[in-house]
Amino acid sequence: MIISVASGKGGTGKTTVAVSLAMARGYCNFMDYDVEAPNASFFLKPDIKNEQTVTMKQPYFLTETGADFKKCAEFCHFNAVAVAGKEVIFFPELCHGCGGCLLVGPEGSVMEKDVEVGKIRKGKADPGISFFMGDLKPGYMRTITIQSEMDKLIEHDKIVIIDCPPGTSCPMVFSLKDSDYCVLVTEPTPYGLNDLDLSIEVLKSMKIPYGVIINRDGIGDGKVEEYCNKNNIKILLKIPNDMGIARNYSRGVSLVEYDNSWAGKFNKILDFIEKEAV
Amino acid sequence: MKVAISSSGTDLGSNVDPRFGRCPYFIIYDTSNDNFEVVNNQGRQAMGGAGIQAAQLVIDSKADAVISGNIGPNSYHVFSSASIKVYSGVSGTIEEAINKLKKGELKETSSPDVSSHFGTGPNWNN
Ligand code: SF4
Repeated sequence: MIISVASGKGGTGKTTVAVSLAMARGYCNFMDYDVEAPNASFFLKPDIKNEQTVTMKQPYFLTETGADFKKCAEFCHFNAVAVAGKEVIFFPELCHGCGGCLLVGPEGSVMEKDVEVGKIRKGKADPGISFFMGDLKPGYMRTITIQSEMDKLIEHDKIVIIDCPPGTSCPMVFSLKDSDYCVLVTEPTPYGLNDLDLSIEVLKSMKIPYGVIINRDGIGDGKVEEYCNKNNIKILLKIPNDMGIARNYSRGVSLVEYDNSWAGKFNKILDFIEKEAV
Repeated sequence: MKVAISSSGTDLGSNVDPRFGRCPYFIIYDTSNDNFEVVNNQGRQAMGGAGIQAAQLVIDSKADAVISGNIGPNSYHVFSSASIKVYSGVSGTIEEAINKLKKGELKETSSPDVSSHFGTGPNWNN
């Protein structure tokens, strides 16, 4: 069963929740799909044993043939190629590896090679968690290339916790696509409410069941709760705005480690999802 | 000499546009006969790489130099590979810019002066 943890905005405590769910239950898969800024390892402290390089195909240009590469520049939708006379100026970070250059370029003068766009790191974390994190190479916008490689590593007979990228754009949608349930983390503030509303739109159109965790309960106003009640949205948990929690978080100590009573609360959420929601 | 200038309008009284990649027009001015043509910057709505596409347009216009308000690193990289002179940080009208160029008052830019994605945000929607 795949449970994803998402949030319309960054910094709401999404990773705290994802990590706490994994630690509370144990013996699950933990997938850090927030490959642009993966930070769950800070809390789970996995011992990384294995690294896999993720590559994509990119063109290279044999300019010594004297061929005209103008067609490649004209064709590229992402403007990754410019041509000045016989010179080719290529911007690898912009190339999506669509293979177009090879198709439209001068025959025999465009080749392809594998280029690294990031890594997947694998390891074990306590208790019995198989940990996977994607790590995008800076400058490359190949988030989904890495996520789709990570998809292949999922052990479907286990509980799988996915830490999604924040926001509601393609990388978030891609992370969610196979989820049985989504836990949305938000703050009780106007920003939080606005972004929660956007995330819910996405989940509705993807037909994925969801519930809400309100983090830093006590700050802001009561509008998020009002919104959930009005729309019949399950509030799974409220985490108080607590100095002790925040201080430990900043030292890499998760909620469950800081105060063991949270393990029970997170386990209850998982029970609820397994028995009732899915 | 031919010079490409990022322009907010289609005549010489228009202002030099501060954005290179996402300006609406380029004015391609020939200082040897004082003729000019106006080219639409079709790449200004590009999702990414607008500066690169605009630089390609300048190369294709056979310009020897380019004048703009700001030029980012990707465009700059293309121009230096193509040996096109770059004059950035220029403001005022197109006419004023050309006069300064003719009098030798513009200084060649030796490095990009804004980072990538300058000229994209919500304030640039005109
Ligand atoms: S392979 Fe595709 S994306 Fe890459 S430079 Fe060529 S046309 Fe552009």
